[in-house]
Amino acid sequence: MNITRRLLGKVALGLAGATMLMQVPAFAADKPAPFDKPGVKIALVRYLSTGDFFQAYLSGVESQSKALGIDLRVLDSRQDAALQSDMVDQAIALGVQGIIIQHGLTESMKDAAQRAVDAGIKVVAFDVNVENPKIPQIEQSDKDLARLALEQAVKDNGESWNAGYVYVAGIAPLDRRNETWVDVKKKYAGIKEVAMFGTLDNPIANSVANQARSVLQANPDINVMFAPYDEFAKGVKIAVDEAGLNKKIKIYSADISTSDIAAMRETDSAWAATAATNPAVVGQVSVRALAQLLAGEDPGHNVVVPPTLITQKDLIDKDIKNMEDLSAKLPQFAHADVAMPAWMPNPNAK
Amino acid sequence: MGNDAVFRVGGLRKSFGHIEVLGGVSLELHAGEITVLMGANGAGKSTLVKIISGVYDHAGGTMHLAGENFEPNTPAEAIRAGVVTVHQNINDGVVADLDVATNLTLDRLSGKGAPLLFNPGRVRREARAVADRMGLAIDLKARISDLSLADRQMVAIARAMAHQPKVLILDEPTSSLSSAEADRLFALLDRLREQGVAILYISHRMSDIRRLADRIVSMRDGVISGVFDKKPLDYEGAVNAMLGRKIHLDRIEVRNAAKPVLTIEGLRIAPGAKPISLTLGDGEVVAITGLVGVGKTALAETLFGLRKPLSGTMRLNGSPYTPASAGEAIAAGVFLVAKDRGENGIVGGFNIQENISLPFHKRMSRFAVLKRGLERATARRQIADLGIVCRSEKDEMTTLSGGNQQKVMVARWMAQDARLFILDEPFQGVDISARRDIAAKLRASANGRATLLFVTELDEALETADRILVMSEQTIVGEHRNADVDLDRLLAEVAGGPLHSAA
Amino acid sequence: MTLRDYAIRYGFIVLLFGLIAYFAIAADGFVSPQSAVFIFQSVAITGVLALGVTATLVVGGFDLSIGSVATSAMMAAAYVMVVLEQNVVVAVLVCLLIGAIVGLINGWLIVYMRVPDLLATLGMMFLLVGLQRIPTEGRSIATGMTMPDGSVANGKFSDAFLALGRHRFDFFIPNLIPVSVVVLIVLAVLIWFFLEYTRFGRMMYAVGSNERAAELAGAPVKAYKIWAYVISGVFASIGGILLAARLGRGDIASGNNLLLDAVAAALIGYAVLGAAKPNAFGTAIGALFVGILLQGLTMMNAPYYTQDFVKGVVLVVALVFTFALSGRGRR
Repeated sequence: MNITRRLLGKVALGLAGATMLMQVPAFAADKPAPFDKPGVKIALVRYLSTGDFFQAYLSGVESQSKALGIDLRVLDSRQDAALQSDMVDQAIALGVQGIIIQHGLTESMKDAAQRAVDAGIKVVAFDVNVENPKIPQIEQSDKDLARLALEQAVKDNGESWNAGYVYVAGIAPLDRRNETWVDVKKKYAGIKEVAMFGTLDNPIANSVANQARSVLQANPDINVMFAPYDEFAKGVKIAVDEAGLNKKIKIYSADISTSDIAAMRETDSAWAATAATNPAVVGQVSVRALAQLLAGEDPGHNVVVPPTLITQKDLIDKDIKNMEDLSAKLPQFAHADVAMPAWMPNPNAK
Repeated sequence: MGNDAVFRVGGLRKSFGHIEVLGGVSLELHAGEITVLMGANGAGKSTLVKIISGVYDHAGGTMHLAGENFEPNTPAEAIRAGVVTVHQNINDGVVADLDVATNLTLDRLSGKGAPLLFNPGRVRREARAVADRMGLAIDLKARISDLSLADRQMVAIARAMAHQPKVLILDEPTSSLSSAEADRLFALLDRLREQGVAILYISHRMSDIRRLADRIVSMRDGVISGVFDKKPLDYEGAVNAMLGRKIHLDRIEVRNAAKPVLTIEGLRIAPGAKPISLTLGDGEVVAITGLVGVGKTALAETLFGLRKPLSGTMRLNGSPYTPASAGEAIAAGVFLVAKDRGENGIVGGFNIQENISLPFHKRMSRFAVLKRGLERATARRQIADLGIVCRSEKDEMTTLSGGNQQKVMVARWMAQDARLFILDEPFQGVDISARRDIAAKLRASANGRATLLFVTELDEALETADRILVMSEQTIVGEHRNADVDLDRLLAEVAGGPLHSAA
Repeated sequence: MTLRDYAIRYGFIVLLFGLIAYFAIAADGFVSPQSAVFIFQSVAITGVLALGVTATLVVGGFDLSIGSVATSAMMAAAYVMVVLEQNVVVAVLVCLLIGAIVGLINGWLIVYMRVPDLLATLGMMFLLVGLQRIPTEGRSIATGMTMPDGSVANGKFSDAFLALGRHRFDFFIPNLIPVSVVVLIVLAVLIWFFLEYTRFGRMMYAVGSNERAAELAGAPVKAYKIWAYVISGVFASIGGILLAARLGRGDIASGNNLLLDAVAAALIGYAVLGAAKPNAFGTAIGALFVGILLQGLTMMNAPYYTQDFVKGVVLVVALVFTFALSGRGRR
């Protein structure tokens, strides 16, 4: 774990290095206490950690912490709810001043979060509702993600099309994205969902590809695929390519990664657009919200990190080949102007 | 040391289906005496033990313990009444994952009046008391799985003795012990004898019997065939009664060996055993007989490359023969029909044809592809040759009778020409007609190879062999030409009597 | 033969045709050459894995590591091409080598270290799930990815490699049969011939049925067992190559679903033609059976959990066919 974290720090640096520009924050301005001196201790208590998203999130947390001179401790429970709760107590015992709770189960984290608050520690929570008015909730807006992608779909294809929809119920972010889809279907009577499918059997893309092939076979009238999760979209794209329908069908999705960018940039790629929140930015916002609390400011109870729409056209026109290019060339993706008081250093602006 | 029987069995009968296993067995056990029960496989010893220990019920007869009627319905009842059995499989008598102390007191953890809570201190105290009484010098905290077989055996016996029984039954307790380990067991049994326990000791091993027996009871075919309690004990008579002497119907025409095929010199197959030397000639059928556990299978496995001899040389057709595996033995032309066909011979998933071709795939294939036509032709030829009763060569093995299954096993190895053909207990679980067929086939085809049989039943040797060798204590102790056999001498050798030098 | 014998022998085949007939009526577009080819394609990867695991089942073993061998091979292929910038030949060879080495280690653990097969291969499964993440620190591999040391990987999946997943051969209809289907069919025929007609295959069955008897018949039982795991490992790595070629990137995945589907196919195979033993033909039919079922259900818009349910039902029915009806389970 140690090696991983150190090297990840380097990645974060690389990320930060690649992104120049941005507005100049108040470098000269003195930071409020306790950030007038380096060495403020905070802990990141994680429930989920493996996968590209979570690694990028961590790199964001690390870069913002570094910019603020924070001493960061990472406690990783690896999907063990009980352990995660114990880790909060461990963090309290370590004498940290702030805690970021990253994912987890409401049931197991609610009490632990309260104990931390009782111990006078400032807490923020990302993507887990700890039902505590004193704890700001950092959120990426899944509804906005879906809305951006679907608005683009309507822009590209008009208000009436036949959709294939990839969805697995019971997964919180997918459920929230689904709400938007339901609303959009209501709003536009011309949008018809002719097939719904989806699976989380791994490798997910392979399993979804198999399903999508069958769906395309059964429903040759589909012209739009809404796959609001990039693994789904990859699977759908494989199936569309295999069926030779890549010029006939457009895919709209959510989330982004380097390999997604490559897939979208392919000649005649069916993957038209995706909406994504930069996980590194979410990580930075998490730290910034916590820093505001520590400095006695109120970041608000719901800190929402807005998503960015990324279209195939953007990627080709701006010659964006990977995530670093994306951060560099789509500034709104690299930085969110959330929880940014004047004194807050921007880690992307060194 | 009274002469009143503590335990008395009268006219005990038991049948499984319509096969009568016990045909009226009467037996007495006396306090402070070790009674040895001898009997060949299938004589009914195990059934008798299981009835006495409450595992089976019995169809007729009576049992009395200390003058009172003894009718156990379960093993637990028998134990409570004072009759305790240590079974052959040591691991049935102990719980491997628990420590010695817990094992010694295990029976007190259940049953009426057992305390609700497990009290380690009390367990240890009680275990200590049991161990002291037995003179058991084993760490009470050791786990059973860390102990040697002998120590496990001691614990199993000590555990049995924790009930302070009147009668103790031991079923072949030394079958997996070394001689040093067995000595410790004997010392324990001496101690129990002094304490006045009536012991029934079941064994084939003559050395054990000589060391321990106060009386010998022989069993054969479900009845008591002899009781020997006059000192000195008549060991030969006991073996004789156990093996029986039948008049053999078919006298065989004894042949003399031509040129030697296998020559063994100074072969030792067990530590401390005397070396074996023998010569097997072309065209002769030689039977090695002896009681169970005298090393017959070990010798067969040594010849077949499954075991390495401790010392000595083997020569096959004049050249040194040192097989390191069954594969090498087969390549050299040494074939073995192993004993216990279910365990060692039959491939259950294969039909007759596939079972017959098993060892000779290489010779039946071209570029590794099996020649199915040749395979089928071979199987058909062998089926006809040995008179295997079946519908076709595609029949499953389970559809065959025991005798026919054994014929398939023999047919498997007779499909190719052997230099040395070994059969270990080929007549086990085989009906009389199949046994005659196999024996006749072995004799008829004997030319061109040496044939070696290992049999426990004397009759089988007398019916089949040109020469009979007797094994005892891991070596060969006697040799007889099967023309005018001195049966008394032969039986004496089987019983391990005064040794006649074989070589 | 009695009616019961017929039921045992042909019951599953009849069920298969019944299923096809049902979907042909119930699902539009189910009957077409493309649909048939697609069913083969969808089961190609799990089918190859299932054929491999059949070899271990034949010798009386089991291989739980095949799923993770496949995903590890996929990661290795991606790593070799994207990070090390090697060509298709190197990538394929590295994958096959990984499969063979894992098979050897599995066999060694089971035969010489006497670790029970389920536990040894379970351990190997965990080991590989972790190992495949180490080179990239848990990231999926795609062209342009950032490496742990901050550099950017510039290699890409060679076209020849991608062709393994995407090229289609003409077969009456142009561009009909994908490479993966050809690989599946070739491997199925190979392993079927090997198991049924060669002396090695025959002896593997003997080892699986009565190890001691095989040993006493002169067979090098240990070597046969190890070879079975090598076959399983190599087949799994071929599955991984096909997977990588289809996805066009190296995806972090445990491969557990691949494992479960493959094992289900092999076990369903026991019931085909009343074999009541692991066999390559049955495994192939079992894989197809699952593929047809999933294709049909998906075309009828059945949600994914009903598919798992139906898969389970088929497996249970197949096992009942094998063990209860043919009465061979009691051996």
